[in-house]
Amino acid sequence: MTYGTVSADIIQSSVPGVSLGAGDATMMKNRIINGAMVIDQRNSGASITANNAAYPVDRFRMDCTQSSKGNCQQTPSATETGYATRVAAGFTNYFAFTSTSAYSVSSSDEFTITQNIEGYNIADLAWGTANAKTVTLSFLAYSSLTGTFGGSLQNSSNTRSYPFSYTISSANTWTTVSVTISGETSGTWLSTNGIGMRIFFSLGCGSTYSGTAGSWASSDIRSVTGATSVVGTNGATFYITGVQLEVGSSATGYEYRQYQQELALCQRYYYLGSPASSSLGIFGRNYATATGYTYPLNYNFPVTMRAIPTITVTGTWTYSNSNSLAPNGPTVNSPSLGFNSAGSGDTYVFSGTTGSFNASAEL
Amino acid sequence: MYKLIKNQITQKSDTVQRLSDGAFIPFDPENTDYQAYLKFLAEGGTPLPADEGVA
Repeated sequence: MTYGTVSADIIQSSVPGVSLGAGDATMMKNRIINGAMVIDQRNSGASITANNAAYPVDRFRMDCTQSSKGNCQQTPSATETGYATRVAAGFTNYFAFTSTSAYSVSSSDEFTITQNIEGYNIADLAWGTANAKTVTLSFLAYSSLTGTFGGSLQNSSNTRSYPFSYTISSANTWTTVSVTISGETSGTWLSTNGIGMRIFFSLGCGSTYSGTAGSWASSDIRSVTGATSVVGTNGATFYITGVQLEVGSSATGYEYRQYQQELALCQRYYYLGSPASSSLGIFGRNYATATGYTYPLNYNFPVTMRAIPTITVTGTWTYSNSNSLAPNGPTVNSPSLGFNSAGSGDTYVFSGTTGSFNASAEL
Repeated sequence: MYKLIKNQITQKSDTVQRLSDGAFIPFDPENTDYQAYLKFLAEGGTPLPADEGVA
C-alpha cells in the first residue's frame, strides 16, 4: 500500500492531485475572515462614506486620517468591466472603494483597507521567535488606475511593518496578486484575543506611512514609497476580493467556506440583531413592585464574542409600564439587557418589528 | 462625550454611554471602544455622571 507524504505545509495523499494544505478544500488555512467579502451585516450591500473605522463588509475596515474622501461598498455591480475573470475565480462579491475627490495626501495621511487578525488565529506562526513561519498573502485586485500599489503587514504595536508592492498593469482588469513574507523573528506579536497582525491595502499614504517594499521596518509603515494614490483621483476605483493569508511560500487555491461558517466567524467580532418580522421578537416581562426596578431581557449571542462587546440598542421598542433598556453587566455571551419599570404592576418590553440591537467587539 | 451608566443590579458604574450614537461601552480592557474612552480620560476628558436609580 502506498501512503502519502508530509512536507512542511502540505500533506500529499497517495491519490494524485489530492492534498491537504493546498487547493481549495483545505480547512481553515486562511487566516483572513470574510476574504471573499460575502458577509456584510451592517450595510446589506449599501454604499457608505469611507470614514475612519467604517466597515463596508464584515472584518474589513477603513483606516482614514481624513473624512469623506470616498465611498465604499460590497459589490456595487455584479457586471463590472472584466467581471468574468472574478466570477471564473469563484468570487461573487468584492470590496469596492470609489474616490470622491482628488485629494493630495500630506505626509501624515493614510487611507487603507484594513483587517486586524486576532492573535489566537496567528499564534502558530511563531512570529517574534527564531521559528517564525513564512506566510503568503494572495488576493485579486482591480483599479481604474494602473501602476504600483502598496500595502503592509504589521504587529499590534505598529513597531514591526513589512511593506509590500504589487502592480496593476491593466485598468479595470482583475489581477491576481501573491506576496510571500518570511516570518518575522523580531518584535512582539500577540497570541491572545488582541490584535495579532494588521494587514493594510493602501489607497493613499503619505511619506510618514510609506517605506521600502520587501523588508521589515521598525515603524508604522502601511504602504510603499511612490505607490499609486487612489484617493488622489476623483472617481478612481479600487476593488479587492479573495484575500487569503496562509502558511507557506506559495499561494494555494482560495479556501471557500460555507456561508454559515463565515458568518459565525464574523459574529465573533460583530453581531447584528434582527427585528422580528411580525411577532413580539425579543420579549421581557415581570411584575414590578415600584418604579425604577430593573428586570432582565434574556438573550444570548449565537457566537461567543472576542471581548465584552459595545451594545447599541436600535430602532423602536415597545414599552409598557417600562423604559430605559440598557445592558447591566454584559458578557462575551450575552448583552445582559435590562429594562426599568415605570411604575408598579405588570411591566414588559418587546422589540417587535423595528426594535433590535447590535454588538461590536471589533479589533 | 460620554456618560457613566450605573449597573442597576450592582449599583456600580461598569458601562459608559457614548452620547454621539448611544452605544453602551463596557469596562473591558480588550474592548476597543473602551480603549478610546480611556484615551479620552487620559486627555483630560470627564464623563457626565450616572443617573441615580433603584434596582
